[in-house]
Amino acid sequence: MRQDAVHVTGMGMVTAIGVGVEANLASLLAERTGIGPITRLVTRHRGKIPAAEVRMGDMELSAIAAPADTRGWTRAALLGLAAVREATLQAGLDPRGPRIGLISATTAGGIDKSEGIYDRFFDNAPSDEVLEYIGTHDPGEHAERIAHELGMSSVVTTVSTACSSSANAIGFAARLIRAGLLDAAIAGGTDALNKFTLNGFNSLMILDPQACRPFDGTRAGLNLGEAGAYVVLESATHARRRGAAPLALVNGFANTNEAYHATASSPDGEGARKAMDRALASAGLRPQDISHVNTHGTGTLNNDASEGLAMHRLFEGKVPPFTSTKSFTGHTLGAAGAVEAIYAVLAIRAGAHFATLRHGSVLAEAPVVPVLRSSSGHAITHVLSNSFGFGGNNTSLILSAP
Amino acid sequence: MKADVHIVGASMIGPQPGFGRDALERVVAYDTHPMKAMEPDLSGYVDPMRGRRMAKVARISLGCGLQALERAGVARPEAIIVGTGLGCMESTERFFASVLQQDEEAPSPVAFIQSTHNNVAGQLALAVKCTGYNFTYLHRGLSFTSALLDAWLQVGREGARNVLAGGAEVITDDYFITQRHTGIWKPAIKSNLSVLNSTDTGALCGEGAAFFVLDNVPRGKDSVRIRDVDISWRGDAKGIVPHVKDFIRRNGLAPGDIDLVMLGPNGDAVQDRGYDPTAALLPQATVATFKPLCGEYYAANAFGLWLCRSAMVTGGLPPEVVLHGSARGDFRRVLLYDHYQLKDHSLVLLER
Repeated sequence: MRQDAVHVTGMGMVTAIGVGVEANLASLLAERTGIGPITRLVTRHRGKIPAAEVRMGDMELSAIAAPADTRGWTRAALLGLAAVREATLQAGLDPRGPRIGLISATTAGGIDKSEGIYDRFFDNAPSDEVLEYIGTHDPGEHAERIAHELGMSSVVTTVSTACSSSANAIGFAARLIRAGLLDAAIAGGTDALNKFTLNGFNSLMILDPQACRPFDGTRAGLNLGEAGAYVVLESATHARRRGAAPLALVNGFANTNEAYHATASSPDGEGARKAMDRALASAGLRPQDISHVNTHGTGTLNNDASEGLAMHRLFEGKVPPFTSTKSFTGHTLGAAGAVEAIYAVLAIRAGAHFATLRHGSVLAEAPVVPVLRSSSGHAITHVLSNSFGFGGNNTSLILSAP
Repeated sequence: MKADVHIVGASMIGPQPGFGRDALERVVAYDTHPMKAMEPDLSGYVDPMRGRRMAKVARISLGCGLQALERAGVARPEAIIVGTGLGCMESTERFFASVLQQDEEAPSPVAFIQSTHNNVAGQLALAVKCTGYNFTYLHRGLSFTSALLDAWLQVGREGARNVLAGGAEVITDDYFITQRHTGIWKPAIKSNLSVLNSTDTGALCGEGAAFFVLDNVPRGKDSVRIRDVDISWRGDAKGIVPHVKDFIRRNGLAPGDIDLVMLGPNGDAVQDRGYDPTAALLPQATVATFKPLCGEYYAANAFGLWLCRSAMVTGGLPPEVVLHGSARGDFRRVLLYDHYQLKDHSLVLLER
């Protein structure tokens, strides 16, 4: 275990299985999925493709996130702010100050609003609605809006590396803290379900028309979800000085790239294995030290085969209990790494292995079976959390008991 | 394990000709904007067939990134980090159009794949078979400097030998047209070279790419050391002067030690005033600017860094961009300060 591991002192999230971390934990333990028919997003795919929507309109989200000025907030920014507020509240952290940063992540940013009015961006006399949202089209906008809301004045930036984005945001934030450039950081990501992304994944033909079945032999693709999820990270010194107790430690981090194909991961899982292996090395741990794995586990043919194979090889046949919580939340893309890092901390704190829902038949490519039922009472000290992105951008985080 | 961080290779493609060189070939004047990145012959780096199918931002980034590696004598870096405020807007718009105009009827997967923001960094990794760290920052005016900070951390503090880091942006016609409603661009320009005399608001718009190889071992007189990198977001520009002072001081220097300060005014008469206090802080330094040459865009400070390195390696700057002091000199300590909309503040300290 590394001596300079960064402390997690606060967590916040909004997902399809709950508003707030406690609600998420309750749903995970009760095996309540968030995947269902699309009811909020206006799309011709309604009724045909399921998704994991946060069951709240933008107005309700705005009431929870409570921005000082409600104008110009996209759904993605609201999901982010709601999660950030919960995380900083739990940490008891005042984020104003020159050494407290915000490292955010997203894949689509504010597209959820701009896609609905995009054709009107070209009008010579733009409407109030166009003027309200035209500046929200770029990915970094949500992070600046949240930083402004919190009165921050420090390092603020946005990572966008597809499905590994917010795991990478947590990794970068932890590195900035370890290098002494920051005392603390809010790190995570947000993505709202939108037509652009839904049609993108649909065009790749990797969306399951039913609820997804990660690591199942008959799996047929992923379901998209939406979420905001952030953690507060601090140096041990800074946390101690404030009297903030660590919930967990960010103990290891590695990002690798397969350089194999623009979208697919290598079938032999070599890229995934390397990310996990390097994360273990960065934490000073061996494979047998890992007591739980939160997999990337999207439910696509390609990912689950290569990730299953990679785990089988890394753990030399003795794969620890592993789960895909995407069977609850769907794939929340830019938020997924942070959602699952929080679930990793919950696994440690609740001593829980979470179920992988709807698993019924064994994977053909590797002899690995996920945890089928949620249960608590286990001793869990080190959790590996995988986030593997488009184009083979592979990230592994290791969260450890304090 | 602290190590010194050196820029050992650089390459630039933009509205000014300088690809494959350490200094601009000449200064090109424009009377309309956005100023477009000139595309040099990239056939030595990008297969022309493949290049034609790529979005411009991917093509020029690939050419630029691969040339920076070649000039550094690095075949395969340990990490690749890209900063871009818009990512692949060209492909995003193409996919947008097919989703929205055809009512979600069978849009093209190719445009979607190419619209993924980390596509450029991924293409570079594929080209040199780099299986190491691969990151992309999309954060407005801090996009490139976030990438530079990450790379500097890896080489300077985390034991990496070399990292390829770059900034790239291409402004599409649609993006330029639609974003005019925000007031960010000038409606029209007379000349890019006189744009800093403007009395109206709005920026001169441009685009381009610049890539750098950072290495823990210098390569003779063409190497420039990156002493420090700092990024910050601020709700307003208050507090920036003490921040700049702190930045210089934390590197064991005094304001009088800076030979050249490279600033980022873009022709917006109001926002450009934000640079005045920093220039006033460094009365001995040559004061120069870079955006009259490249225009304003999210990753413009990558060109700013390229021009700083050029001045340090060649001992001169185009006189057109020197506001104060001499265009020729032995520039040993250089400060790059850029802000975007007075909110995203970037500082880079260089030494030779």
